[in-house]
Amino acid sequence: MRIKHWFYTVPLRLRSLFRHSQVEQELNEELRYHIERQTEELIAKGMTEEEARYAALRALGGIEQRKEECRDMRRVNYIDDLLRDLRYAGRNLRRNPGFAALSILIMALGIGANTAVFSVVNAVLLKPLSYHDPDRIVTLSNASMTREAPTALSKQVSIPDFEDWQAQSSSFEAMAYYASRETAVILGSTPEYARVSSVSPDFFRVFAVEPLVGRSFTPEETMRGSSGAAMISYTYWQAHFGGDPRALGQTVRISRPRSIVGVLPPGFRFPNNTDIWVSAVGPAGSRGGQNFLSVGRLKTRVPLEQAQAEMTAIARRLEQQFPETNRGRSVAITRLMDEMVGNVRLTLYLLLGSVTVVLLIACANTATLLLAKASTRVREVALRAALGASRKRIARQLVTENLLLALVAGLAGLVLAYWGSKTLVALAPADVPRLAEASIDRWVLGFTIGMSVITSLLFGSVPAFYASKVELSDALKQGGTRIASGGRMAGIRGLLVVVQIALAVTLVCASGLLIKSFVALHNVALGFQPQNVLVMRATVPAPPSVGVARTRQFFSDMLAQLAKTPGVVAAGATMAPPGYVDSTGAYLLDQLPAKPEDWSRAPSVVLSVAAPGTFAALGIPLKSGRDFSESDTLDSPFVAVVNEALVRKSFPNQNPLGRTIFCPFDSFQGMRIIGVVGDVRQRGPEREPMPECYMPHGQHAFNGATLSLVVRTTGDPNALTQTLRRLAHENTPDVPMKFTTMEAMLYENVAAPRFRTVLFAVFAGLAVCLAMAGIYGVMAFTVGRRSNEIGLRIALGASTGSVVRLILGQGLALAGIGLVLGLAASIASTRLLRTMLFQVQPNDPTVYLAVALLVGLVTLAAGYLPASRAAKIDPVVALRQE
Amino acid sequence: MTTLISVTKGEYMSKPTDLVQGTLDLLILKILALEPLHGWAVGQRLKQVSGDVLQVSDGSLYPALHKLEQEGWITAEWKPSENNRRAKFYSLTRLGRKELEKEAANWNRLSTAISRVVKLKEA
Repeated sequence: MRIKHWFYTVPLRLRSLFRHSQVEQELNEELRYHIERQTEELIAKGMTEEEARYAALRALGGIEQRKEECRDMRRVNYIDDLLRDLRYAGRNLRRNPGFAALSILIMALGIGANTAVFSVVNAVLLKPLSYHDPDRIVTLSNASMTREAPTALSKQVSIPDFEDWQAQSSSFEAMAYYASRETAVILGSTPEYARVSSVSPDFFRVFAVEPLVGRSFTPEETMRGSSGAAMISYTYWQAHFGGDPRALGQTVRISRPRSIVGVLPPGFRFPNNTDIWVSAVGPAGSRGGQNFLSVGRLKTRVPLEQAQAEMTAIARRLEQQFPETNRGRSVAITRLMDEMVGNVRLTLYLLLGSVTVVLLIACANTATLLLAKASTRVREVALRAALGASRKRIARQLVTENLLLALVAGLAGLVLAYWGSKTLVALAPADVPRLAEASIDRWVLGFTIGMSVITSLLFGSVPAFYASKVELSDALKQGGTRIASGGRMAGIRGLLVVVQIALAVTLVCASGLLIKSFVALHNVALGFQPQNVLVMRATVPAPPSVGVARTRQFFSDMLAQLAKTPGVVAAGATMAPPGYVDSTGAYLLDQLPAKPEDWSRAPSVVLSVAAPGTFAALGIPLKSGRDFSESDTLDSPFVAVVNEALVRKSFPNQNPLGRTIFCPFDSFQGMRIIGVVGDVRQRGPEREPMPECYMPHGQHAFNGATLSLVVRTTGDPNALTQTLRRLAHENTPDVPMKFTTMEAMLYENVAAPRFRTVLFAVFAGLAVCLAMAGIYGVMAFTVGRRSNEIGLRIALGASTGSVVRLILGQGLALAGIGLVLGLAASIASTRLLRTMLFQVQPNDPTVYLAVALLVGLVTLAAGYLPASRAAKIDPVVALRQE
Repeated sequence: MTTLISVTKGEYMSKPTDLVQGTLDLLILKILALEPLHGWAVGQRLKQVSGDVLQVSDGSLYPALHKLEQEGWITAEWKPSENNRRAKFYSLTRLGRKELEKEAANWNRLSTAISRVVKLKEA
């Protein structure tokens, strides 16, 4: 009924609003017609034309009154009023272009920065994952209770464990494991890198995703030992086949040929922007071989806690059943969304918080500006009130003005945000999930509008309150030049400035801590020399049976040729260049343990396979013993090089050289320690070095038939790229390559701290500028208001210095209060930053001291102009103004 | 519905019978249910059918028409009138027909009740 009603009435209301002149004209015409007919009627009854016309008009009782009554029936008066208010507000803003531009700029900065950050927060944290029923998708990860958690690798699970979980649990609709790797893919004859994920049979059921074209894997294709098939992402399909359905049946070579059987719908690229999915058909491996990640879909109405309880019980059973591998191992169930955004959530929310602080400062700033304007408008407001406008009507008028200001600022902010959002995405670390989806969508738009409305209330409330207190008689008597309540207004302005300074101080403190910590991060001893090192990642595409030998040969040949290449200082090859960990494991010394369960108590170690020359190329110092050599092959005794962290842990005051170490990577064979090298921060500059065991590439396999060539050069390392590409092509044409430099990798390693440091610094800078403008404003206002008094002081012999002190003293007093409040707030709030700080405590006194100094300097700078103006006041002029 | 006020306005007009508020709506709806008419003709028709008992002032007619139109009960169309000039003709909508039925039923109830009270024999 209501809906049907609206069907008739809404178009009419819209018509009344937007075709206003037409509606009016029709009303005129309708009434005119009435009068004409009535006149004719009365003439027919014998009246003269004039009499008839007058009678017709009289019967209507006043055309304008009737029109007004008809208009009232349209029920859009409040909108009419609003439009009138808006027109009036627009005129008002245009009359004060300087004020309008300044306040719009300030608010646009605040709203724009907020919108930009929110667009990222929205894309990364708020939008639900674009899978069917995403809340039911969870990750199942290994939760080791005994070992320290060294890397993300430790979350991985083994196939036998997974199969037991799957068989014994009942909370899941589907469960799957997967592993993902950037590897060599040959399509036709061109080798290139693509993201390939091998997945277990139920993988697509977990995400409830169906192929867009073609089919999913058949049961035969998912059997162990099958030749396997491949499914490709929509993006890969478009890029390599132009969306041609004939892609189906084509062959891609990923270590062996596989036939493309299906294309997944756009948007599905789990995990890590996968290009190609293959079914995991390798051997199940051992319970200790934790090489896969696991996901599951909860059954409907099974809460996460219930699934967790069930899995904990299963893990406990497995622990008892297989103590040698599973002791201390449990399972952690986490929602996929939480797992994906876990690392960035705090950063993004802190950024949103800091940018909100900037907006609050902008509001306080604009409120000060409005307050200054309000004092000149007191007369206008009083006049309107005297002419009968109700307080409510005046308040509505003022609110409309503020709203218009905020909405214009919001619009300008949106433009800033569009640009800011792009900048944020470009600045952000590459591993932030779903960042590319950040855009100005309707949620962001709604946020901006909401922000504008809220801010208009925030900055408008103080002046509106002030205006509502205006005493009519006072204001009209005063003639608008001076205001009785000037003292109280100065108080409000002072308060607003204190708030601005306090807020700015908290941001500057946080930013200072992050900057100090970022500097510390840059000064940390990495343990290697990143300058002038070219890194070439290469993968030899071949079935695992021959792949290792071919890869080894390829890199040995490359190294031999590089040794003769001019401009090369040293060259090596490693499975994991510093900053990335490829494999972790455990180690034992001297002899293999009698009981297999002793492995579960063995210390953790980073495992790395390296070619001779790697330490020299990376600038890792050899502390004792020797580097690997080309003669360390499968036919010679197994050897290893360990780092000092391992020596400190396991050989305190002993000589490790000649001792035997067992690190099950691809074999249980013991290795003689032949050298000790300096520690490298393997997990990026933020984290302490772990014990590491290097194994020669001549004696071990390497993950994914992939190594990274590291070449130290005399000049710009990038200059060598073409030479390396040519050499590689001459050796093996089907090897895909990726070039980077050690410095670029390091840059990526600190992308997250850089992102937050830069943004906090920008927001803090913005806050300081706004606060500075606030201090300036309040001091200039004081000088203006007290010019008589100052003139009098000067006339009575006050020195220039004492006048300057008077003015600056006021500014410094406000700044001092703001500083104290801000520092107190900082001490309370910077604890939130704790996990983001590196070698810096949240209440670092030097940072706080520097902030205090900065605030003092900024206040003096902001106060310079007003103070010097005060000092130049001519007492004669000032006193004559009275 | 029960508040009694005069729908005729203006002091210099004769007020033969005050109408119960809403009754004018009912009358207009009923008249328009018979055939689409323009404003002036609605006024004329009212006088005709009520034998001049119900005199609705011209002044109150138009606001009432506009109100009914805004409610969606009647709809307007510009057409040539019987003397070949453009006039605004009102006609009943489907919603208006329902409203008419409802109002008419209300009116019947009310008038029956009132006449029952009026006919009570005095002791």
